[in-house]
Amino acid sequence: MSEVQTVENMVSITIDGVEYKAKEGEYILNAARANDVFIPAICYLTRCSPTLACRICLVEADGKQVYSCNAKVKEGMEITVSTPDILAERRAMMEVYDVNHPLQCGVCDQSGECELQNYTLELQVDSQSYSIQDTKREASDWSSVLHYDPGLCIVCERCTTVCKDMIGDAAIKTTSRGGEALDKSWKDNMPKDAYAMWNKLQKSVIAPSNGTGSTDCSDCGECVAVCPVGALVSKDFVYTSNAWDLKKIPATCAHCSSGCQIYYETKPASIEDRTEKIFRVTNEWNYVSLCGAGRFAYDFENNIEGKDEVAFASAVEAFKQAKVIHFNSVITNEEALMLQTLKEKLGVKLINREARAFQRFLNFYTQASGNSLYTLDFKEVMQSDFVMSVGTSLRNDNPNARYAFNNVQKMNKGAGLYFHPVGDTLVPTFGKTVESFVHQAGHEEAALLLIIDLFADKDKLSDSVKEQLDRDALITTLGGDADKFNAAFDKMMKKKEKFSLMVGEDLYFHEKAENLAKLIAVLEASSEVSVAMIPPKTNSLGVALICDLDDEADGFTIGYNESGDFKLSALGDGDLDMPAMNQQEGTLTNMHKRVTPTNAAVDYHGYELNDIMREVAVAPKETIDWTEHLPTAKGFKAVEFDSLPNGYLNDGTENRGYVLETTSIEVEEVSIEKFDKSRGLEGEIAYRCNPQRQFNDFSDKAHQIFEGFGLYASPAKAETLGSKVEVTFDMGSITLDVIVDDRMEGNIVAVPDFKSAENIYELFAESRYQTVTIREV
Amino acid sequence: MEATILPEVTAAGVIIKAVLILAVISAIAGFGTFIERKILAFMQRRLGPMHVGPHGLLQLAADGIKLFTKEDIIPQHANKVVFAVAPAITAATAFIALAAVPVFPDFTIPFVDIYVPSIASDINVGILFVLGMMAAGLYGPLLAGMAQANKWGIIGSARTAIQFLSYEVITGLSILAPIMMVGSLSFVDFNNYQTDGLWMVVYQPVAFVLFIIAGFAETNRTPFDLLEHEAEVISGYATEYSGMRWGMFFIGEYANMITIGVIAAVVFLGGYNDFWIFPGWLMIIAKIAFSFFFMLWVRAAWPHVRPDQLMWLCWKVLMPLAVINVIITGIVMMLV
Amino acid sequence: MSLEQFKNRNVGTQNYKKLDLEHSPTCGWCQFKQVVSRTFKPELFVGLWVTLREMGNALFRGKMHTTQYPFEKLPISPRYRAIHDMLRLLESGHYRCIGCGLCEKICISNCISMDTRYDENQRKEVSEYTINFGRCIFCGYCAEVCPELAIVHGPRYETASEQRASFSLFEDMLTPIDKLNLQQEYDGFGAISSNADENIKKTPLAY
Repeated sequence: MSEVQTVENMVSITIDGVEYKAKEGEYILNAARANDVFIPAICYLTRCSPTLACRICLVEADGKQVYSCNAKVKEGMEITVSTPDILAERRAMMEVYDVNHPLQCGVCDQSGECELQNYTLELQVDSQSYSIQDTKREASDWSSVLHYDPGLCIVCERCTTVCKDMIGDAAIKTTSRGGEALDKSWKDNMPKDAYAMWNKLQKSVIAPSNGTGSTDCSDCGECVAVCPVGALVSKDFVYTSNAWDLKKIPATCAHCSSGCQIYYETKPASIEDRTEKIFRVTNEWNYVSLCGAGRFAYDFENNIEGKDEVAFASAVEAFKQAKVIHFNSVITNEEALMLQTLKEKLGVKLINREARAFQRFLNFYTQASGNSLYTLDFKEVMQSDFVMSVGTSLRNDNPNARYAFNNVQKMNKGAGLYFHPVGDTLVPTFGKTVESFVHQAGHEEAALLLIIDLFADKDKLSDSVKEQLDRDALITTLGGDADKFNAAFDKMMKKKEKFSLMVGEDLYFHEKAENLAKLIAVLEASSEVSVAMIPPKTNSLGVALICDLDDEADGFTIGYNESGDFKLSALGDGDLDMPAMNQQEGTLTNMHKRVTPTNAAVDYHGYELNDIMREVAVAPKETIDWTEHLPTAKGFKAVEFDSLPNGYLNDGTENRGYVLETTSIEVEEVSIEKFDKSRGLEGEIAYRCNPQRQFNDFSDKAHQIFEGFGLYASPAKAETLGSKVEVTFDMGSITLDVIVDDRMEGNIVAVPDFKSAENIYELFAESRYQTVTIREV
Repeated sequence: MEATILPEVTAAGVIIKAVLILAVISAIAGFGTFIERKILAFMQRRLGPMHVGPHGLLQLAADGIKLFTKEDIIPQHANKVVFAVAPAITAATAFIALAAVPVFPDFTIPFVDIYVPSIASDINVGILFVLGMMAAGLYGPLLAGMAQANKWGIIGSARTAIQFLSYEVITGLSILAPIMMVGSLSFVDFNNYQTDGLWMVVYQPVAFVLFIIAGFAETNRTPFDLLEHEAEVISGYATEYSGMRWGMFFIGEYANMITIGVIAAVVFLGGYNDFWIFPGWLMIIAKIAFSFFFMLWVRAAWPHVRPDQLMWLCWKVLMPLAVINVIITGIVMMLV
Repeated sequence: MSLEQFKNRNVGTQNYKKLDLEHSPTCGWCQFKQVVSRTFKPELFVGLWVTLREMGNALFRGKMHTTQYPFEKLPISPRYRAIHDMLRLLESGHYRCIGCGLCEKICISNCISMDTRYDENQRKEVSEYTINFGRCIFCGYCAEVCPELAIVHGPRYETASEQRASFSLFEDMLTPIDKLNLQQEYDGFGAISSNADENIKKTPLAY
């Protein structure tokens, strides 16, 4: 469907006499980039709103000078990239940018990939005509990972733009520099736009928007990625390497189910130690945004000396007598297939709690809807203009879902509905038309019913659903004010065409998971809303598709990065070492329903799972030889690993791996259970949720991730709790430090699960919410 | 022949003299190598050995230590006995030849009253003995070259045979004329012949020149060092030698140089007679030293000749000249 | 047009002097005459004289050529590319290297490596620097590319050592701080041209 649309909406434009096709409503700059035509531009970011800070993208369109980042293409538009006037403007702008910009490129971290260097050369700036007294600007650290040197800053505002439009933190802004005022004579003596740009530049500098010296944000480092000069650098990377010394290894981030494309940048660790070390992680920031874990949690490799033959022999023995293999979702598709093969050959049982819950939910959904997988991917969520979220802690569970939610508000003049039991202060700030419901835990069905009520074509609904649709009652149940919401909703619905819903882990671990899955199927069948699901952990989708998981099992257990009688571990604390994700090749299935390749960035000298497979069952030569045997029945393709691409095209097309094939069949209408309001949880509630930037043991191992393992609570709640508490569940208890999360609201506390050794899943059993008793110790 | 009144020559005196000669000449031969290197260096405006001892004086000792301590290698296919004996022949003949040559004036050791003669053994056929011994020295290189199972050695020994044998003729014929004049074969008589009168070189210039030329060939010196001409035959007869065996060839060569110097001094250059205010012992040392220096000087200045040129010079130029010289000497002696 | 200049492929300047070769004597008498003439013409003695004269020159007129090498050394051309030196700033004594890594990048035998870090004074500090002299081909690119004239080729051409590492660390190459006054500006590969000042475009300065 979408393809037909794009063909329909194509317009013809002419750039420098050559005719191109462009999508209607696109900015000239994006249209040119998609057609491989170069228009210089510094401040523009593809998926963010135009800033108009640099003005270098000035072009002539139909005889008028326009900013190509801000002017949309029209049918038959004639565009000239460079006219003498524009060239003079551009040159003047580059000269202005070079005024007082330090010339010590040699020490700058950006040297070699600096856009100021590039454009200064591109526009052949060989002399300087302008000057003004410089302002003293001191370098400082904004946070534990951000380092800002205002002396190098050209105030292109890409950092503030990306922080606001993509990340949603809006943690930094332009502020006054206190610089010397421009001499009025310049106004007459230099090109107009260059003067305007200079005037603004001379007055501004970037600073944390909370007015203090440090940022209050999720430390994602996306501002560092987009900075065209060396002003914003990761604190740990400052002055440690030059861009050209680093080897870029395209990979897939293994921390959450977003599966973002990243480059591990490596070089030998030092003069003494010539083993490759990851110095930083970079990304294609025009097309994908990383979170703090993706960017900073890269040094989780398992450094071991060599092959431990004794441990390997005992591992083989352990596998031969194993009854159960307990593993988690930080695993490649290939390894999942190996475990599945073991199950088929040796009859072991496979335990993976989060993937099992997701698998069950997917099965319910497939049975109810006939779709083999959820219908929407998250790129499409970003294209929608009304986005909803149910059952996921948007800020913590999946950064890409959060970025999508935020981006829809900022870029598509969108609206948003956020349903979650844990109050969040950040989400409502994403846009003016974001309505947030803090409902009782266990009332997720009500949220879905409300959405059905809001969007469904009532004629298509069965009676079992229809009878439950009492909008005002539902709103009240969900903790909202019916009148207020109805008024707000009318405003939200203005000019909206594409509707999307993101659902998360709360639903998979829900007592009524089957009913929820059916409701989602009903919603999709009866409305224009499409649904995307957030897999709980890194490769939960892949594991859910590949493995035939078991619910319970007893007997001799092998733990793979989990506890067990014999432990395989990529963390270095097991009985046999395994390679970590940055040390192995393979594919991951991410929430975009895409199978993406990842590569080894760091050397690994030990045994892999494939070596064990060779001993206990069958195995090809390499781990990646499994790739083409991934189950095609589940949508995988029989392609070789080496043929999988990993990059983006100029127009933003994701060219990574392949998309899972999905099928859709007609199914019988399903019956919906009645929503039982009394099932909501009361009392002290703990929520199984990781802090931002923490996803698993590997992110915890990385040295630039500081979020600790503790009880996260809103400031108000934390005050009542004290500094250290014992949390008692039905299944046991745990003692945790209390950590304040400024962006949490309400009484529910969050208990992280990123430490597999703490067995948090056991405590929560089959739910994400549990009633607990908390006692200060 | 008049009998000179001299103290009785005792066996002790002769032994002392023999030891003296052996020690001094060996030392001088060694020292000669140092001098040679220095002189050649100076003539090429170099410094020569400088590093061991003052101005490299102890280089000599260093070389000696090196030669003595170097591994003694005998090639697998060499005739081992002959190979081992050959250097001894060269050294021995060189020193035996010196037995009949007056090297220093005679003197008496005070207190013990032992008379040490100027000559270890003043045999009446002194010159013949010396020339004979030097000719016998040819067996050294000849056997060495043939014993070592090396083609360069063979060529070296072949060259030894032709060069030594040929130039033996010149030496003999050139010295025949002075012998005719003196009427004796004893070196002492030669010396005494020149006591009052002019040096023999004045009477016999041609013989002197021929003798010097032949002397270069006999001592295997440039420009006639074809036996061990490194550009053509590696090291000729000495190719396979190392250590002290090679050192004995070396000492032999330098001892021969001194012998030739002594013969030239005694036969042609006035012997150990006093000259003006200079005493005889100083004169003979000066004369020998000059001969030695001349040999080095020539080495620095002149190139090698080819073996065929060497033979041509011997048989077609020098030999006829020597014969003519003898004849003319005879005729003059008959007439005068 | 004459093709003469193209046909003459002898590119040397044509001032060879041919030897005045006589015809070889054919008869025995002629040969004898040649010997006599060569003997009595002073040719041989000229040779003797020349060597003697040079000995005199060497000994008494100070024309000895020998340089006693380990103790005396000949001055070396500034363009000679020997073991590298790392220079210091003359005023502050701080090393000039700013750790820009251009030498590391340009090195065609890939033998330079450096570690840099962010120091207490917010400057880029070169914590370690090394050249693998087992690989270095002394091409001089590092000296040419260096923007600070920090790495230059020094006069140390004696590269025999028990370990290659003996020359290769930053401290080995750096001018000793007590010898800062002896530090020479480098004239060789990569040095600034004598008319560099004229080629610089002046940047306006507001104060």
